[in-house]
Amino acid sequence: MTNTEREDGVTRDELVQRVALMEEMIAEGRRSTARFGWSFVLWGLVTLIGIGWQYLQPHLHWIWPVAIASGFLIQFIGIAIHRRRGRSCSNNMQSRSIAAVWRMTGIAIILYAAPAIVTHTIHQIAYVAAIFIFLGLAHAISALILRWRAQGVVAGLWWAGGIATYFVPENNVLTIYIAEMFFCMVLFGLYAMWLERRRAATALEQHHA
Amino acid sequence: MANFDAEDGATRDELVQRVALMEAMIAEGRQYTGRNSWIFVLWGLVDLAAVAWQDYVPHFGGRWAWPICLAAGVVLTFAGKMLQRSNQGYSRNETCSRVMGVWGMMGLAMGIYVASAMVTHFDWQYSYVAGLLMMLGMAHAISAMFLRWRMQGLVAAVYWAGGVAIFVCNSGRATRDVMLFEMCIVMILFGLYAMWREPKRGGFKGEQA
Repeated sequence: MTNTEREDGVTRDELVQRVALMEEMIAEGRRSTARFGWSFVLWGLVTLIGIGWQYLQPHLHWIWPVAIASGFLIQFIGIAIHRRRGRSCSNNMQSRSIAAVWRMTGIAIILYAAPAIVTHTIHQIAYVAAIFIFLGLAHAISALILRWRAQGVVAGLWWAGGIATYFVPENNVLTIYIAEMFFCMVLFGLYAMWLERRRAATALEQHHA
Repeated sequence: MANFDAEDGATRDELVQRVALMEAMIAEGRQYTGRNSWIFVLWGLVDLAAVAWQDYVPHFGGRWAWPICLAAGVVLTFAGKMLQRSNQGYSRNETCSRVMGVWGMMGLAMGIYVASAMVTHFDWQYSYVAGLLMMLGMAHAISAMFLRWRMQGLVAAVYWAGGVAIFVCNSGRATRDVMLFEMCIVMILFGLYAMWREPKRGGFKGEQA
């Protein structure tokens, strides 16, 4: 194909540049997610610690409020450290979209979980299933925007957990909850952090070369 | 302001062009939502039909009202989309694709959530209905962020408020009333509003309401 003007006035070089720009934006969007991989690990651990604590001291009612408040505190400190190091997420369209997806998911989950905890409705099966489905939805939208298969698999796992919650006997729901938090939160977060570390090391090597 | 080089090497004219392109993409995204807003009206009517069937003619297969109406809604949505595709050529930019992705994934997530709950008979739980509203609010909120569309943001807030209200009221009657208001009235009104805005091409551009 020659570098001639096409019917709509766009040359081949311009098209190549646009494709390259889009690929770069998608890659940057993934990097932004990877930079926040610690956030997935944090919330996975907060949930697992909350479950363990409740198992050891089932009569305490303030375990979840304390665990969730601690999670938020650590999250805010982590973001502040990120910003101070100048590693906050980039400002391209893809990154902003991903940030919007996770912010809105966070608000939805808080608005859903807080009144459920206050009104003691968290024992309902549909409550647990809904949380899994919300998280799967956020991962699925993010995976679609970033064309990221690994994240798509995580979305599938969350949704599979949501379905399983309805079908398994009630005393097995906790096992599903722990498995989801470990595989889809902690492991995915660690995977994202590993990707970010590998990218940073490659960039450093290229810089020195 | 002179046409000087900006920090990243882009001239003022280039920056103006970029902003214009982004505004055009956002406007097109809103038009895309408007073109598809008949789906909101359809689903509002589907819910209304199911509620009316279950309440006014319960002896006429009342327990099948929801499964039949939901299945009819899915068939009509696919038929409508196919008809729409054969009638008009879509111009889909990046923003349109993202909005489409959000609603596509929301539909999938909701399908999984609703079908599992119905099959296992957990759809009477308050948290199930609250979860539906939260999920719809989440999709509207993410779309509103992508499209910088304040009206859609307001709709998201109304859905979330409905979800919280269900937990706070904690009664079957209140859950029913909130569900009826949100799933029928809000859904139909927003659909009609978006359909009314859609023919006014360019009317969305730069509009904040």
